[in-house]
Amino acid sequence: MMRRRFLALLAVVSGSLLTGKNIPAARQRELSLHEADFYKPHDLAG
Amino acid sequence: MRDVTCELCPRYCTIPEGGAGDCRVRVNIDGKLVATTYGRPSSVHIDPVEKKPLYHFHPGSAVFSIATAGCNLHCRNCQNWQLSQRGGEEMERIYRAEPKDVVDAALTENCHSIAYTYSDPIIFYEYVYDTSALAHDHGLKNIFVTAGYINEKPMRRLCRVIDATNIDLKAFDDGFYRRNCSGSLKPVLDAMVIAREEGVWLEVTNLVIPTLNDDMATVRRMAHWIRENLGEETPLHFSRFTPHYQMRNLPPTPVESLHRVWNEARDAGLKYVYVGNIFGHKSESTYCPNDNTRLIHRVGFSVEEYNLTRDGRCPVCRQSVSGVW
Repeated sequence: MMRRRFLALLAVVSGSLLTGKNIPAARQRELSLHEADFYKPHDLAG
Repeated sequence: MRDVTCELCPRYCTIPEGGAGDCRVRVNIDGKLVATTYGRPSSVHIDPVEKKPLYHFHPGSAVFSIATAGCNLHCRNCQNWQLSQRGGEEMERIYRAEPKDVVDAALTENCHSIAYTYSDPIIFYEYVYDTSALAHDHGLKNIFVTAGYINEKPMRRLCRVIDATNIDLKAFDDGFYRRNCSGSLKPVLDAMVIAREEGVWLEVTNLVIPTLNDDMATVRRMAHWIRENLGEETPLHFSRFTPHYQMRNLPPTPVESLHRVWNEARDAGLKYVYVGNIFGHKSESTYCPNDNTRLIHRVGFSVEEYNLTRDGRCPVCRQSVSGVW
């Protein structure tokens, strides 16, 4: 409960709590590009 | 030329090779549509669930919250425009975090859920979907905070992996969407109905902007529509507007206006109506719709007192309160 209240208070004061440093992948490796869902070739008429 | 048509949202952008959709982040590369921000969040925070806002979904829990650049709407009053109205390449900070990294971080931080939020997560749809599926495998819940401008097929598919959503109903007025957001109303209403049909916990937010969407007749129509189509137990959050981005000419919403819209929605029969962005306001708390017992006392984003029974009932009259507790 104390932790929740601390988080809530911090969120009010600062907007939220930055934790990007805790994302393991913040180490700068490159990712492959990801193909999207829900698209199709555009068929031109005429 | 190998143009593609994106079918994710109602814009149906036709994108030439090398070009991006209206959202800036879905790009045609060699005839394939690529979600360029997949695994590349620009905003990563831990928030209380009340900030989303979700008031009837595991109150007081911590939510690991991520967003990438881009958006498929262009609201003149956007609060997060530095994130939403930019492409990934324009961001100062881009993390590398595949779904597994996000889930690991959420677990490490003892979060209950992952929220896809801040910008509109519709535009990083595939990243949301894959992360959500993995999160479920690890016992985490998923929260989708969105403006709901999405097509039916992707919305229904997404509902398989989402547990709760807050949909921002910007106004019950198609003209408002066209003038201020470059969108339209109907797809948003459809998305809310789909969320309800698919069993996703739904709460609705309406930002009350002076002179633009605070007309009482419109608010009344909106409240009636919610009651008829989503149910009288759907929580509705009225948020106070503060000037941002391209809408700095208007003043913050007067507190009196928020009281009026709150009353209007209650009169229309909605049981759980809240006022947000006014710290310490009485209507931040949840009351029993039967005997008015204060069930959850909130101050800002903090839960100060929790009186619901374990099975989500009023402890005094045993009235059941809708939600995921």
